Amino acid sequence: MADQPTALERFVQGILPENPVYRQLLGLCPTLAVTNGMKPALTMAVSVAFVLVCANVVISLIRNLLKPHLRIVVFTLTIATFVTVADRVLAAYMFQMSKTLGPYIPLIIVNCLIICRCEVCASKQNVITAAADGLGQAIGFGLALASIAAVREILGTGMLMGFRVLPACWPDWVVMVLPPGAFITLGLLLGLVNYIDDKREQARK
Amino acid sequence: MSLKNSNLAQAWLVLLLATLFGTALAGIQAKLGPVIEANKVKETMAKIPVLVLGEDLAAELADDNQTLTIKSRVVEVKKNGITKFYTVYDAWLPEGKVVGHVVKADGQGYADKIELLVGIDAQGERITGLFVLDQKETPGLGAKILEHAWRGQFKEKSTAKHLSVVKGGGVEEDEIDAISGATISSKSVTGIVNSAVADVVSHLDVPAGPENNKIPAVQNKEPGKNSKNKERS
Amino acid sequence: MSDTNRQINSAMSPEDRPGRKPPFINVAPSPHISDSRADTRRMMVDVLLGLSPAIIVSLYLFRFYALKQLIVCVVASLAAEYFFVRMRGKSFTLKDCSAMVTGVILGLSMPGSAPWFVGALASVVGIGIGKIIFGGIGMNIFNPAMVGRAFVMIAFAQLMGAGAYENVTGLVDAVSGATPLSALKFNGVHTDIAPLFMGVTNGSIGEVSAGACILGGLYLIYRKTASWQIPASILITVALIAAITDIAGGYQGVFLLHHLFAGALMFGAFFIATDPATSPLTAKGKMIFGVGTGCLIMVIRLFSGYPEGVMFAVLIMNAMTPLINRWTIPQPMGQREA
Repeated sequence: MADQPTALERFVQGILPENPVYRQLLGLCPTLAVTNGMKPALTMAVSVAFVLVCANVVISLIRNLLKPHLRIVVFTLTIATFVTVADRVLAAYMFQMSKTLGPYIPLIIVNCLIICRCEVCASKQNVITAAADGLGQAIGFGLALASIAAVREILGTGMLMGFRVLPACWPDWVVMVLPPGAFITLGLLLGLVNYIDDKREQARK
Repeated sequence: MSLKNSNLAQAWLVLLLATLFGTALAGIQAKLGPVIEANKVKETMAKIPVLVLGEDLAAELADDNQTLTIKSRVVEVKKNGITKFYTVYDAWLPEGKVVGHVVKADGQGYADKIELLVGIDAQGERITGLFVLDQKETPGLGAKILEHAWRGQFKEKSTAKHLSVVKGGGVEEDEIDAISGATISSKSVTGIVNSAVADVVSHLDVPAGPENNKIPAVQNKEPGKNSKNKERS
Repeated sequence: MSDTNRQINSAMSPEDRPGRKPPFINVAPSPHISDSRADTRRMMVDVLLGLSPAIIVSLYLFRFYALKQLIVCVVASLAAEYFFVRMRGKSFTLKDCSAMVTGVILGLSMPGSAPWFVGALASVVGIGIGKIIFGGIGMNIFNPAMVGRAFVMIAFAQLMGAGAYENVTGLVDAVSGATPLSALKFNGVHTDIAPLFMGVTNGSIGEVSAGACILGGLYLIYRKTASWQIPASILITVALIAAITDIAGGYQGVFLLHHLFAGALMFGAFFIATDPATSPLTAKGKMIFGVGTGCLIMVIRLFSGYPEGVMFAVLIMNAMTPLINRWTIPQPMGQREA
């Protein structure tokens, strides 16, 4: 596996160059569903980080035992276990938040991002690289969620994390905290990221 | 088929992992399950003093380090061939006097299910308060059912009357003022309160003290009970 | 834009792209007819002329409030068009007046009471997200004015929906028992001799007078700027559904007339649904589009939480337009269906 990226490369790539949301367009369900506020978005990001890192480590540990045609089953099994753990812990210690997030924590099981990282990295590389990859991707995912949530919460309620950031006369753009706002924000931010990327590409030439 | 290629031999890792993970999850559930259950109960219980006593009295009670004794039971109401279940919480003052009841009710709102707690006084004559446990109404419009000003309208309404939603109303005894732009949400909540109150009000008689209530069956022998319906704990 | 024009425009679009040499040969699908009069600018001026009765009535009825909405929306639309077109590095397109039309239509579809930022935001969103993102004029899927309006409608439901539209519904008793916004004192103006025709409602400033909309609409149809199929099929469909409801409910025609003349129906049928870029190309397709819009309007009016359904109906049918175009593509002569 000489041509596989190193642990550091994996870590760095996950954050921006291969950002799960803005570059790979993975895990868009929670990205759209829970970003109407910063708090649920961050909780979701932490839960995903936990599941991603744990699943990556476990898969990496057993990577030599995997049978190619059964690997997806093993991935799903592992992911489902850690998602259940995250769901139960949230329900026990952050009950209100767990109610707010509703089905979206259990739905991490079907978040393509995690199974993608298991497939691409964890099932091929060693534990440290897999952990670094999971962490990097999770940070990238968290950044994406936080950026969308910041736009939506500030425009939609004039507040961030429950603190008022815009003057009280700000007319709340209710649409931003509703589902259409999620799509509009994601689309515009994606466009913005592509635009900046284009500019940098041109500057490099 | 040789042993090496049999399905079982191929799947040994899956089976092993499933067993391991299953055991681990069972352990976590055993540890956290009670906490989660307690959370769910606490969520409702914390609202009950305010609902039956009103905010001032509830705060007074809390200052005195006293708590209401709260017992829950399930009321079964048969209506038009459909059996509905309501969770009713009865609250007693520390000295053993019944102060009120809280009914948990739910129904369809504009966007999703709305879950309510309706407080009713000890005699079952007046509504003492309304609390919205869960809702997904439109922010800025329907979500105003959460606001104190709107919920407060239900206070002191008679349980004998069918409440109706009126635009710019709320003046009459049996009227609730609609939230402007959210008539459907207003009507949903009022509808849920109406049916819950009508269904449950005849089931509210409870013993004078919480101690007598320990054995659920006792309730049925209490005088003044509506005979055609049963209550269960 | 006419159908021909639209095709030519899309065929020529590579020319506008920055950093590319303009091609020497234009390849465009037939028919290769170019009517010098059928350019975008002429059409847009026509639309503005067609809108003028509605504008005049709105200025007469709502005075300052109408003026405010129109100015805010037009200025914001032009500014947004200028800004976004600049951002994309394209040539300046203000001259074709399309942004002006979007602004006027948006202004006319605002409730008079809406604060200035509502119209401004609607214009920016309409032009930006509704039009420029899709590639500018002629490329947009959804009617830009309605995209902007839908955005503010959901964003500021309190300012846009509830207060202004509660009484515009087809619910007859709601109108008779209406409590108009007293601060605006529209009521005195509204209770006119022919209130249904002139507009009894506290609605959007341009839609209250069905008469003015019909007048302007007929002009557009006479000039062939708007096709007659779309308004006709919308109105017939709405009338049919309203008539059935009317008979079923025993309203003796009041319900039917009310649904025809109240709300944004006339305005929407003549000026919004007929936008050539977002409606089907063929006559048959236009009929389907109109019937679909009419059905959706009535479904939303009768069964949804919203009192008025023109905006959402048009937007939904806009999304169906590419599909309708594919269904109704004309068969080349002599060729049977495969």
